[in-house]
Amino acid sequence: MTAVPTISSPAHLSSPDGKTAMTHTPLRIGLIGAGGISHSHLRHLLTLGADVYVYSEAGAAELVALYGGTVVDSLDELLAAVDFVDVATPTFTHHALVKRALEAGKHVISEKPLARTDAEVDELAGLADELGLMLFPAHVVRFFPEYVLLKEAVASGRLGDLAVLRFSRSGAFPTRTPWFADRALSGGIIMDQMIHDIDIARWVAGPVERVSAVSSHAGDATTPVEAAHVLLTHSSGAISHIAGIWGPSHLPFTTEYSVTGTEGSLAHSSVAERNYISHLASTDAPSGLLPEVDPAENPYFAELREFTDAFGGGAAPRVSAAEGAEAVRLANAALLSLETGQPVDIESPSAQATGK
Amino acid sequence: MRTPDRPLKIAVMSFAHTHARGYIDLLKGTPSVSLLTSDPGEHSDTELRGRAFAEHLGVDYVDSYDELMAWQPDAVIVTSENARHRADVERAAAAGAHILCEKPLATSHEDGVAMLEAADAAGVILMVAFPVRFASTFSRLKAEYDAGQLGQVFSIRGSNNGKLPSERAWFTDPELSGGGALVDHVVHIADLLEALMGAAPVSVTAVTNQKLHADRARAETAGLVTISYDNGVIAAIDCSWSQPDTAPSWGGVSVTLAGTAGTVAVDFFGPRARGLDTATGLPIEAPYGPNFDEALLSSFIDAVCSGEQPQPDGGVGLRTLDIVLAAQESARTGRTIAVADVASSS
Repeated sequence: MTAVPTISSPAHLSSPDGKTAMTHTPLRIGLIGAGGISHSHLRHLLTLGADVYVYSEAGAAELVALYGGTVVDSLDELLAAVDFVDVATPTFTHHALVKRALEAGKHVISEKPLARTDAEVDELAGLADELGLMLFPAHVVRFFPEYVLLKEAVASGRLGDLAVLRFSRSGAFPTRTPWFADRALSGGIIMDQMIHDIDIARWVAGPVERVSAVSSHAGDATTPVEAAHVLLTHSSGAISHIAGIWGPSHLPFTTEYSVTGTEGSLAHSSVAERNYISHLASTDAPSGLLPEVDPAENPYFAELREFTDAFGGGAAPRVSAAEGAEAVRLANAALLSLETGQPVDIESPSAQATGK
Repeated sequence: MRTPDRPLKIAVMSFAHTHARGYIDLLKGTPSVSLLTSDPGEHSDTELRGRAFAEHLGVDYVDSYDELMAWQPDAVIVTSENARHRADVERAAAAGAHILCEKPLATSHEDGVAMLEAADAAGVILMVAFPVRFASTFSRLKAEYDAGQLGQVFSIRGSNNGKLPSERAWFTDPELSGGGALVDHVVHIADLLEALMGAAPVSVTAVTNQKLHADRARAETAGLVTISYDNGVIAAIDCSWSQPDTAPSWGGVSVTLAGTAGTVAVDFFGPRARGLDTATGLPIEAPYGPNFDEALLSSFIDAVCSGEQPQPDGGVGLRTLDIVLAAQESARTGRTIAVADVASSS
């Protein structure tokens, strides 16, 4: 894991001298889940000055031993101890846990996808609205600087009217736990990995009217691989291609985009834009499961800082529950296209949340 | 190139396609080849065509195809407008000449079938000009693929992006070109995938728009295509004319393959020296590398001398055309199209 950035906590989280005051009490956050992404969440939440309570069916004590925080033994105990909940569990459990947390009156961060089915995301987004609670889906790619630059270039009009967009995301198949490989539980590569670029494509090029997808599988139970191509037609007429690869275990994590509009183009390749290239006889190979990030502007940290800022009374984050729900609907439309073998029209695309 | 017993007589039919110039430049310096060209018809004043173009290139010229065929060429290179390929290939075949036809083979399945039949009936070679498969990088990819070094390939991305063709107006006139970016660019990647895998395309989905160069284009200028093959591989192709007119280079062709044993990415025209123009701040890009047309022509001339049908043949031309026709039908209807339906319905 990379080092934690040494950024002082926002004033509303803790006072500069470290002493807590009535108005500067640390956020009390409950982290549910102790799997892969929980390492990142716990580390960054602690850096942000939060008091973190961790509940998980397994691994909570080991996780807390590594980074800090407090282990609790039940969900009830967690909900009783905190004001905010961060759900970092497998996709198929998001709905029940987020719903439980909202019903307990907690503001919630949920790992992406917000939930597995359209009905589930509709219910969660509706429930948060109804209860007046914050619900933030962790679409972390919106915090990666190269994607922020793309959004800014498009928003400023520098690229003109967008015509054609390509996105690609490639890494090792996540074999560390079995649920990723079960399409019913995870939604496969489209719902788990490609939803990042589906969200980005919609963020920068606007509402989507039609979705098609093709997918392939190979390998065996111990070394599976999976891929898909998704095509999007945006309401503006722009077209997007999203490619996803879950490949063999040695595959490094790489991303690309190429966006062309009437006034200009912007492209990025994580392979081409590296600022540290080594060819050492002995080196620790980076994980093929997560992108390499610059620890001085870690997007996972920036994401949780923005969410916790909002919890502390700050501005609304760059991604909303409604947009997390849209991403899930588009991913499910792509999955439906796999089943039917035909493109899928999206109902009332004009009603889609467009985001900031 | 192999030296025939006497100079090989090669005729060039039409200067419509910009590639005619490249072929002529390569062949006119070849001692074993005798070259004659013709580009009949009315030409726009804004385009250098006909006898003037031949004089510009320094190559022999006749005013009509009758005169060109009366010269009894051993081989003909057809570089006319896409929609005229059929008539020109039929004429060359009837004259008993071996044929190298510019891509795409034709603009309809029916025309393509007729061209294959004409070549068969005349007993002449029909080769389609797909130069990228002659790249040494493709040979390396093919060798690694065949040796199993990629494991089982399961997904491919390809892109063939370029500028909107502007030297010749017919490229953007669907009556003569058969369409826009789809018919111009999908076939190159489709040819590479056929040469690599030998798999048959099953179904095709395409989305297009006309946002880029909207003032000049009469067909799609951007296109994204997905193809499912009968070996389980899925492929996606970006065929857009998305390279702006002001770009320092024409564009490129690339493929990225993912297999169970790893990935390979090939950027066929990628290597270049890069710099900046001090006065304007504009980039300088100087691409380098072998000219794939040279290997393509060499293979064609070898075939003409030996009489053996080379690859890519008319069959490849027809199968890659069928992918384009399915993509065009998909873009029109918003449906995924079975390639077999395109081949049987026309």
